[in-house]
Amino acid sequence: MNKRLALSLALSILGFVAPAQAQTPVPPGYPAGYAELIEAANKEGALSIYSTADAAEVSELLTQFRALYPKLKVEYADQNSTELYSRYVAEAAAGATADLIWSSAMDLQIKLVNDGYAMTYASPEKSALPEWAKWKDQAYGTTAEPIVFAYNKRLVPEAEVPRSHADFAKLLAAQPDALKGKVTSYDPERSGVGFLYITQDVQISPSTTWDTVKAMGKANAKFYTSTGAMIERVVSGEHTLAYNMIGSYVLQRNRKDPNLSFVLPKDYTQVMSRIAFVSAKAKHPASAKLFLDFILSKAGQVELARHAMTSVRDDLQETHGIRSLPGATEVTLKPIRVGPELLAYLDQITRLRFLKQWQRALAAN
Amino acid sequence: MPKLVIEDLHLRYGSVEVLKGIDARFEEGSVVCLLGRSGSGKTTLLRSIAGLEEPSHGAICIDGRAVFDAGAKVNLPPERRDLGFVFQSYALWPHRTVFENVAYGLRLRGTDKAGIGTKVQAALDGVGLGALGERYPSQLSGGQQQRVAIARALVYEPPVILLDEPLSNLDAKLREEARIWIRALIKRLGITAVFVTHDQSEALAIADQIVLLDGGRLIQSGTPEELYERPATLFASEFMGTNNTLSVAVAERRAGRARVTLGQHSLWGTDRAESGTAKGDAKGVIRIEAVRLVDGAGENRVPVEYETSIYLGNQFEHLFRCGGQSLRVLSHQRVGPGTHWVECPPDKLWVF
Amino acid sequence: MPRAFRIAVVLITALLILGPVGLVVYQSFLSGPFFQPNSTLTTQAYEFVLFEEEDFREAFVNSAIIAVGMTAIAVPLGCMMAFLLVRTDLPGKRFIEPLVLVPMFVSSVVLAFGFVVALGPVGLVSLWVKSFTGSIPWYLYSKTSLILIAGLTHVPHVFLYASSALRSLGSDVEEAARSAGAGPLRVAMTVSLPMIMPSILYASVLVFFLGFELFGLPLVLGDPERILVLATYLYKLTNKLGTPSYDLMAVVVVSIIFVTLPLVYTQRKLLAAASRYVAVKGKASAQRPLAIGAWRWPALGLIVAWLGVTVVIPVTALVLRSFLASWGEGVGIWENLTTAHFRELMDYPNLVRGIVNTLLIATVGGALSVGFYALVNLALHRWRSRWTAVLDYLVLVPRAMPGLIAGLAMFWLFLFTPVLQPFRQTLFSLWLAYTLVWLAYGMRLVSASLLQIGPELEEAGRVSGARPAQVSRDITLPLIKAGLIGSWVLIFVTFVREYSTGVYLLSPGTEVIGSLLVSLWGTGAVDLVTALSTVNLALILVGLGLMFALGNKRHA
Repeated sequence: MNKRLALSLALSILGFVAPAQAQTPVPPGYPAGYAELIEAANKEGALSIYSTADAAEVSELLTQFRALYPKLKVEYADQNSTELYSRYVAEAAAGATADLIWSSAMDLQIKLVNDGYAMTYASPEKSALPEWAKWKDQAYGTTAEPIVFAYNKRLVPEAEVPRSHADFAKLLAAQPDALKGKVTSYDPERSGVGFLYITQDVQISPSTTWDTVKAMGKANAKFYTSTGAMIERVVSGEHTLAYNMIGSYVLQRNRKDPNLSFVLPKDYTQVMSRIAFVSAKAKHPASAKLFLDFILSKAGQVELARHAMTSVRDDLQETHGIRSLPGATEVTLKPIRVGPELLAYLDQITRLRFLKQWQRALAAN
Repeated sequence: MPKLVIEDLHLRYGSVEVLKGIDARFEEGSVVCLLGRSGSGKTTLLRSIAGLEEPSHGAICIDGRAVFDAGAKVNLPPERRDLGFVFQSYALWPHRTVFENVAYGLRLRGTDKAGIGTKVQAALDGVGLGALGERYPSQLSGGQQQRVAIARALVYEPPVILLDEPLSNLDAKLREEARIWIRALIKRLGITAVFVTHDQSEALAIADQIVLLDGGRLIQSGTPEELYERPATLFASEFMGTNNTLSVAVAERRAGRARVTLGQHSLWGTDRAESGTAKGDAKGVIRIEAVRLVDGAGENRVPVEYETSIYLGNQFEHLFRCGGQSLRVLSHQRVGPGTHWVECPPDKLWVF
Repeated sequence: MPRAFRIAVVLITALLILGPVGLVVYQSFLSGPFFQPNSTLTTQAYEFVLFEEEDFREAFVNSAIIAVGMTAIAVPLGCMMAFLLVRTDLPGKRFIEPLVLVPMFVSSVVLAFGFVVALGPVGLVSLWVKSFTGSIPWYLYSKTSLILIAGLTHVPHVFLYASSALRSLGSDVEEAARSAGAGPLRVAMTVSLPMIMPSILYASVLVFFLGFELFGLPLVLGDPERILVLATYLYKLTNKLGTPSYDLMAVVVVSIIFVTLPLVYTQRKLLAAASRYVAVKGKASAQRPLAIGAWRWPALGLIVAWLGVTVVIPVTALVLRSFLASWGEGVGIWENLTTAHFRELMDYPNLVRGIVNTLLIATVGGALSVGFYALVNLALHRWRSRWTAVLDYLVLVPRAMPGLIAGLAMFWLFLFTPVLQPFRQTLFSLWLAYTLVWLAYGMRLVSASLLQIGPELEEAGRVSGARPAQVSRDITLPLIKAGLIGSWVLIFVTFVREYSTGVYLLSPGTEVIGSLLVSLWGTGAVDLVTALSTVNLALILVGLGLMFALGNKRHA
């Protein structure tokens, strides 16, 4: 009898205590001290995020996060990568700025981290990330998205679709007149990401890339800065082939309009990642850390992948990573390393030299 | 005490001096005309009285009180001078009714609504537009707009009313009628009026006192008769009336008279020149209505050759040639070609 | 108005202008961002841009050519249309007038895109023409097309200035000319338009200046052939050297500021000569529409042609695109119609809030801006002083900063000025930024109206006993009502469309339609962009339609 009473007493006491614990659930597998981080975040009560991911695309992600940590008021500001950079550095110089910075401009993010804007924080999720996607416990790659070729399914016969970078160069060189004005890509002079991808191409496979550039010049290819404009023009048929497109956008459009099709190049497919870091002078560092951990967590990654921002986690590659995309099983993936190598091309002289080379290649006939 | 006194008034626009020292006195209840050509400074003088221009030197006093005194740094803004002003273009506010246009001055002075109603109606009745209170200026004829402008200036019973070429925008017939009733209205109200015109016949008809200006200076100030019959300078004599101006040579001057030669003919005239050079070139001025057609030769008569005639309705104006110059003569008779004789009475022939 | 008050207004306005502009000029002499401690004073930015950058020279020349061409097209057309729609009895003018302003409602990037959808190489109209003739007789991406479209789409700007001036003219002079035997065209050219010369002068200068600032059209239409203009060159400078090069961008702005000097000088000279065309004199005369007679059909034809090319074609293409799942070569229209984009749009977060914010800034904020412009104008009114010349030159200067850098400059101003810091995240900062950047445009509409008031009307008030402030309130302001309303319409439309000036001042909660559009455009959701633009357009047309209906009622 006494034992039963004691047990029921203990259980009822637990019944009181347990709900209090449920308000700050430590995610499974996290260190015990995480509860203190959650406490600190709740005390902060707010979180400010600057990001390049469109608000509509992350709205469910944010809803889930808010459900997990209801005491946090989350402010999410989406803007393009240049605006984000300008805004962040100016505000940091003036004193107060956002807590978590999440941008698809990999080189600019690394520069910020290198310049000391990031807080060091070892995320509990970091072990699930591949080596290339983290740097110094400061910069974290949160997605692994492919850089693809896009094409207009109506107007490009299957046989002619280039399946690799070498194919692309060959196709263009062989049919400059048929493809005159039909090819498009990012303008490296005006588009930061465009510059990044083409310089990565040159590092991976210099001769093929320069062949492609020369062929693009000969075929009077058109270069833009806006992903939207490029996709729209491929869909309408004004252009038929697009080189080095950000896969997530193409994927989203493909879901709505199968006319826009894509290829993950077989010889190698670049992989870009949206880098996130916690701002060193963050007013709400604990909340920022919670959010960072969330987007790196399985739940966050699954949610991101639903919006074509494919997962970076090793354990989700088959189901939610690039490998889960159609035609992605045999490709060689070449991720852009989240690291200081990206700084090389931010040097003005190096950059201008490359652009001159680019211009010359385009003009070479 | 004179109602309005102007003392040594100078005004410059940049480097140009527009008023070069005007002295004038206007008596209470008199109608004064500032007469002159364009650019004589008459409108500038009027606007200076109103406070719409700022002179550089001198003083203006109304009722003994200085509204402007350059030396004492007094310059009352227009709204404090309590004058009435009728603009040449009438300047009626297009977005307000006739009633509201006239009532504005009373509203500004804090008159109550009932008072405004009565006074405005009285003012409009006074100019013969009693029924048009609710119209807009754009719905009125030019003559009616002019009357509204006058009513607006008079409604708050200012001591002095200023009018800038009030009749020049009216057609000829209206103008003649307006001359009469404007003067009658002003006299009836007993206020002092200063108006500007370039039309000397208008000045003669309406004014009690004419101030003739030219080039920013006061040429002559006096009654219409004085200006017409006894002009002080050649300019004054030529400005008034319709004249024959003859280039003559002075042969001799004696006791206020001068003998001049017109071609080969000798005429006696009244000596008006200020300096009396015994001989030399001069101008002889005689009003065209003073020259008489006569039958034959005689004293102060010259033969003339007929050129042409103009029919004026009530008489003829004939154009003759004499000694290489033109001579215009009024007459009730028709005249045919040939040589005729005209007489120039000495007291009407002014030699300058 | 007391002299001290006038000077105070001038000084405050000058300060507000020189704040952001001064910052930018200062930035042009630095080696790095001004807020970073290791930036030093240097002229290297000038050396780089002026001597080493071929792109800058090309962009400058292109901008100048486009500005001239644009003005040459927009001013005559705009004046003619204003005359036809305001002064004659052209049939249907009440419906046509709101439509004239439509190109101004649509963001220029979106409008340009509408042209692409309609007249591009695989555009709807192009393909249709191609099916008859086998080829497309025009090329949308040529410099000529760009100038043409820029000119045609800026007709509404000129129209606003010319029409609000024409509304305050009495008909007597026109009727005199008409009865002397002059046809409506003759009357327009020799009487009506010369009488509103100040407005036309202002409009010409402002449109010319907009040519230097042009961004959306060249971005979309100039890209394929790499036609570079100053604003797209600035855009290039944000990426070309890796991180945004504020110093180089500042040099470009300084170069545009130097264009304002001869421009305003010429305007002042021409205006002095044109001041004899004062029109609202004391002699009031009724406003009667001029009978247009046999010219009716050519006139209608002209207007319909302009409407067709500039409004109907791109806007229909846009609206159609918002209902199409896909378009272009090989795509049939009928089988692809859908309302999916609108449904998706409805789910977009913050859409309603964005629309509400936009309308709030445009209506209330717009009215406040017009109030400010009117105040500045009244302070300068009939004031013979060198201060007025100073302000004449200054007012255009904020617009020497293309949207891209205007946004940055405003942002920095609010971020680094202690007095303004607390307001940064509020709608006030947005309002102030918009008001400053469009200062010249809003002000000129009011000043042109003021110029047309004969001084006697105000003098008559003074001699009746009204103090200068009372004159302003009772006489001047009511008489410039047409100008004030015109200014408000211009500002309303501009604020609705604005994005770049406030981009750094926006925060969650203060987003506006412009920012939503650009956000969507950036992610490639072009179908949502067109859907949102369609909704935007519908809202504005309804709003304007109501305004015109009410306005016309009171006119009668």
